[in-house]
Amino acid sequence: MSRPPWLQRTLAATVGTRSLHRQLLLWLLLPQLVLWLAAAFVTFNVAQRYANRGVDASLLQATRALSRQVKPIGNGLFIDFPRAAQDIIEADPDDRVYYMVSTPPGQFILGNRQLPLPPDVHTPRLNEPYFYDAQIDRLRIRLAALYVPIGETTGEPGEPRTRQVMLVQIARSQASRDELAQAILMDTVLPLSGLIVLMTMIVWAGIRAGLAPLARLRAQVENRAPNDLTPLQPQAAPQEVRSLATAVNQLLAAVQESVAAQRRFISNAAHQLRTPLAGLKSQTEIAMEANHDPALAARLRLVHESAVRGAHLVSQLLTLTRAEPEAAGTLPLQRVDLSALAAELASENVPRALQAGIDLGVEDAPTGAPPVQVLGNAALLREAVANLVDNAIRYAGRGAEVTLSVHAAGDQAVLEVADNGPGLNPASPDLHEAIFGRFFRATHEGSGCGLGLAIVREIATRHGGLARAEAVAPHGLRLRLQLPNRLIN
Amino acid sequence: MRLLLAEDDAILADALVAQFEHAGFAVEHAPNGAVAEYLLGKHDFDAAVLDIGLPMVDGLTVLKNARITKPALPVLVLTALDGLDDRVAGLNAGADDYLTKPFDFPELEARIRALLRRTRPQQPAGAAPEVGRLSFDREARRALIDGAPVDLSPREWDLLDLLLTHRNRVVHKEQITQTWLADRAADNSEAPAAVGMIEVYIHRLRRKLEGSGVSIRTVRGLGYLLEAEAHAGR
Repeated sequence: MSRPPWLQRTLAATVGTRSLHRQLLLWLLLPQLVLWLAAAFVTFNVAQRYANRGVDASLLQATRALSRQVKPIGNGLFIDFPRAAQDIIEADPDDRVYYMVSTPPGQFILGNRQLPLPPDVHTPRLNEPYFYDAQIDRLRIRLAALYVPIGETTGEPGEPRTRQVMLVQIARSQASRDELAQAILMDTVLPLSGLIVLMTMIVWAGIRAGLAPLARLRAQVENRAPNDLTPLQPQAAPQEVRSLATAVNQLLAAVQESVAAQRRFISNAAHQLRTPLAGLKSQTEIAMEANHDPALAARLRLVHESAVRGAHLVSQLLTLTRAEPEAAGTLPLQRVDLSALAAELASENVPRALQAGIDLGVEDAPTGAPPVQVLGNAALLREAVANLVDNAIRYAGRGAEVTLSVHAAGDQAVLEVADNGPGLNPASPDLHEAIFGRFFRATHEGSGCGLGLAIVREIATRHGGLARAEAVAPHGLRLRLQLPNRLIN
Repeated sequence: MRLLLAEDDAILADALVAQFEHAGFAVEHAPNGAVAEYLLGKHDFDAAVLDIGLPMVDGLTVLKNARITKPALPVLVLTALDGLDDRVAGLNAGADDYLTKPFDFPELEARIRALLRRTRPQQPAGAAPEVGRLSFDREARRALIDGAPVDLSPREWDLLDLLLTHRNRVVHKEQITQTWLADRAADNSEAPAAVGMIEVYIHRLRRKLEGSGVSIRTVRGLGYLLEAEAHAGR
């Protein structure tokens, strides 16, 4: 069921499909507005009624007073209505006052105007006032009418006696009543409006406070790292938000399990690859030993190299999967002596460096300087440093010097591996960043697989640190591993 | 020497059998855990190389059972798994050494021989290790260059012995001072060593080793390393 476009736009604009705030506000304010209008209407009517009552009371008083001025005497009427009394009745600065006495009702005998009779009166009540509105010459007037008995006709013998009734009417124009009604309206509606505005502000604040847990939840989700799959914390959240957070946590757990399963599979596959690679390498070595044909020897060397490369790649893949953030997020941390680690790995690699014609050494720490320690995962840090040293040995070139150094810089621990080999091509300044990419190799020589520095960076990032490369003058490369020294706490 | 090889990959097993036999071992091959246990019960072996991922009965179980009946048998675990937990599990199950695939055969052989040396009585040191033109007799505490004896003080001797034992590997200065401290003979006759003394002794030793085809290399910031010179013939 599709709505016409104009309706959709209107709904979107008014109902505010994109904003819960707006939607709630509209739901609360529109009824308020309607109720306000209804209240104003009711108030106005009530005001009018009470104004009328006031006016009617005074009209009635005047009517009764006037009725007392007309007394029956014998068969006639005595009218005692001096000029002064007339003036009193008529003298009203705001309104026009009319009066009429008629008997029988409708037959004018006294007054300043012919006034309309009370409507729909067939059997008038005696001595009980009638109040009603009418119009004279387009002027709206309020009338009070009183039917007064003034005696009985002494009719002919045999005829029933009939009451003689006099109708006394006083009319007043509406000006002052209208003024009064308006005054009452202003005095009630204005405070009511003020109340409405105040209520609106309170409602607005209430909505914001009510929706704040949602905003907090959103902040929790937005502020986490992309790999972070730890559950959300719905503490102190109202029920509705908690159920949303629980649903999200369930989703996160499912994703975690899926990621973990994938990682296990990759790890298993890599492990499985190792045995056939070992077989390949060993058989090739045997063949190379038994072979006397120089052409075949060259080929066998290549086969062997390929097998070694394959084995290296598998090892690096496994290291990389271990270095990636676990879905669970936590990493066992220990106190790691970075200076000792550098010395240890350098020592282990000296024989290999010598075979590659490289002078590998460690820079002496300044005398008296304490060993540089960090809080980190010992196994991963060892892999990182091992890969840095391995990288230097592979690519610094025969005759180069490779030096490890460790020092503290503020709240950071820095381990550097610098060589004076050819370094990276100065014509490509982006290389210093690109070499940290997975499977990126700056050269096609050698049997590296392009994962070593990616591993270093992954491990650095997991520890909240960084890995960088920079050129050395006049030529060479310096690789730097920087880790926050969380032991300072 | 009799060696049991338990490995299920046929190609790798074939290569290992050939390489070990070429190195002078008598090898029995078990393609799965059940055969491995059977062979262990039936024959006496001097050492065993065990893959963890064996069919039928896995390597760790074979190892644990073997430890009950043959607690002294040197066992090297050869496996694709290289995680810390796997290593610990292997060592806890009774392995004497742990090597991951792929490996270099010379390293495998060296480790097996090292395990064998541990369990068998030391061979008489009739064999004098030779490096370059240097001949080294540990028992008699004598060094000869081209047959001519080299005059070494006790400390110099300890230093040379240490460097030769760790030939081609880095020896740290702390190791040198520890060795000197451990040797009482040296302490009695000479002044106690300070770290600065090491450079002096290295310098003296280098002078005495000139022409022997063996040289001592300074490894910056780490220590020293003894290696055979490239052009030295034998």
